Amino acid sequence: MQIWSWHGFFTYLGSPYIFRGALITVIMTVVSMMMGFLLGLLTAVMKRSQHRVLSWPARFYVWFFRGTPLLVQLVVIYTGLPKLDIRLSVLACSIIGLTLNEAAYLAEIIRAGLNAVPTGQIAAARALGLSERQIAWRIAFPQAFRLIIPPLGNSVNGLLKTTSVTSVISMEELMQRSQILVQDQFMVLELFSVAALYYLLMTTAWDFLQRRIEHYAERPYRRQQKTAAVEAIELPATTQDAR
Amino acid sequence: MITLDTVTKSYGAFQVLKGCSAEIGRGEVVVVCGPSGSGKSTLIKCINALETFESGQIYVDGMPVRSAKTDHSALRAKAGMVFQSFELFSHLSILDNIMLAPRLVQKRGKEELREHAKTLLRRVGLEQHADKYPIALSGGQQQRAAIARALAMKPDVMLFDEPTSALDPEMVQEVLQVMTELAREGMTMMCVTHEMGFARQVATRILFVDAGEIVDDCPVPDFFAGHCSPRAQAFLRFEAAHSR
Repeated sequence: MQIWSWHGFFTYLGSPYIFRGALITVIMTVVSMMMGFLLGLLTAVMKRSQHRVLSWPARFYVWFFRGTPLLVQLVVIYTGLPKLDIRLSVLACSIIGLTLNEAAYLAEIIRAGLNAVPTGQIAAARALGLSERQIAWRIAFPQAFRLIIPPLGNSVNGLLKTTSVTSVISMEELMQRSQILVQDQFMVLELFSVAALYYLLMTTAWDFLQRRIEHYAERPYRRQQKTAAVEAIELPATTQDAR
Repeated sequence: MITLDTVTKSYGAFQVLKGCSAEIGRGEVVVVCGPSGSGKSTLIKCINALETFESGQIYVDGMPVRSAKTDHSALRAKAGMVFQSFELFSHLSILDNIMLAPRLVQKRGKEELREHAKTLLRRVGLEQHADKYPIALSGGQQQRAAIARALAMKPDVMLFDEPTSALDPEMVQEVLQVMTELAREGMTMMCVTHEMGFARQVATRILFVDAGEIVDDCPVPDFFAGHCSPRAQAFLRFEAAHSR
């Protein structure tokens, strides 16, 4: 058996079977992240509530889903739901498991962001007569979101790779499909290198996207803003020595 | 316009406000002064329910503040507030800062509101800064924008909580000037400040607060002529010695 087969490497790299596995990985990540974010936002808001009826369930939820392995959660969902006569596809089970797990972590990130919004901003909104709901959507959420983009980026990056855990309930994503093909010609190194390359490609694409989102969210906070040329000269004199 | 009736508030065992009573009529400009920690900021924040109080009552245009039935949103629309640290919404442009609350709370039309906002910005000398974000403005400009934001709600009374304390000396005047013009136009104002010059020239009355009590409540000339409590006289001497 040879040490490294370039032929094998490129064959697997061009394999539609592997490519579709990677596509499933992306789909699972995007869907779980979006649903997890909404659930995490709800959990974070509940956890910050002064009413125990709201904060305690949220605390229990975060405690439970961060305290048990994703692998166990997936197996319980996959084998438990049919016993309750709920029959879902492997993909649905995987997305439910990933969402529930991710939301628990995202809740803590979002909570940190909400805590970091200056209290003066909330007081000013209150003084203008905005309702608590309007304050949340117009002031607190937008300002918190900007603050949590870097840790959210970490979560997306992590989730891209964590999806591979779903192979335990036979979800045919990138990692599972690579392992299936290993049985075929035992080109472990070549196949896993291809998988690694796919993951790198996906995380790089996300890096790019995150930078764009960050750039957009930071727009109001850049000292140098697009203004008329005259004001651009005037700005450093008036603004910078004042701060 | 505003009635304070034995307002009392405690933080645990510490009593911040010990039964404050006063009456502020329409068109009056009342300066609240006193040493730091005396409770003057807390008092002014009780008026628009940013702070709660345990007993006593405050009426704003007849509306009781400490009541479950009172619509706090409507109350706050009557009383505009300007903060020491400006608190312009950092993620919104100056124009959006001004338009946000009238649009959401008073449901006013966008076109009318834009015109109103532009007028207000012109009044505080910031018309060319409408589309900038707060960070691009100096402290004095930000505070003037914050005044315009409060005025956009067409309030009956303006509350100022140390509006110039966070500003560099050269920017204090531009803010005081806007406030002076506002007073001349007949706006009812209540202002916590250490600017004794402003109090002397613009205010109609002075409330001197010390240790949670309104110690003096007298017309401006009397206050500066020394017809006030020994505590206020000591405060005035201290302010005079340390004024810039």
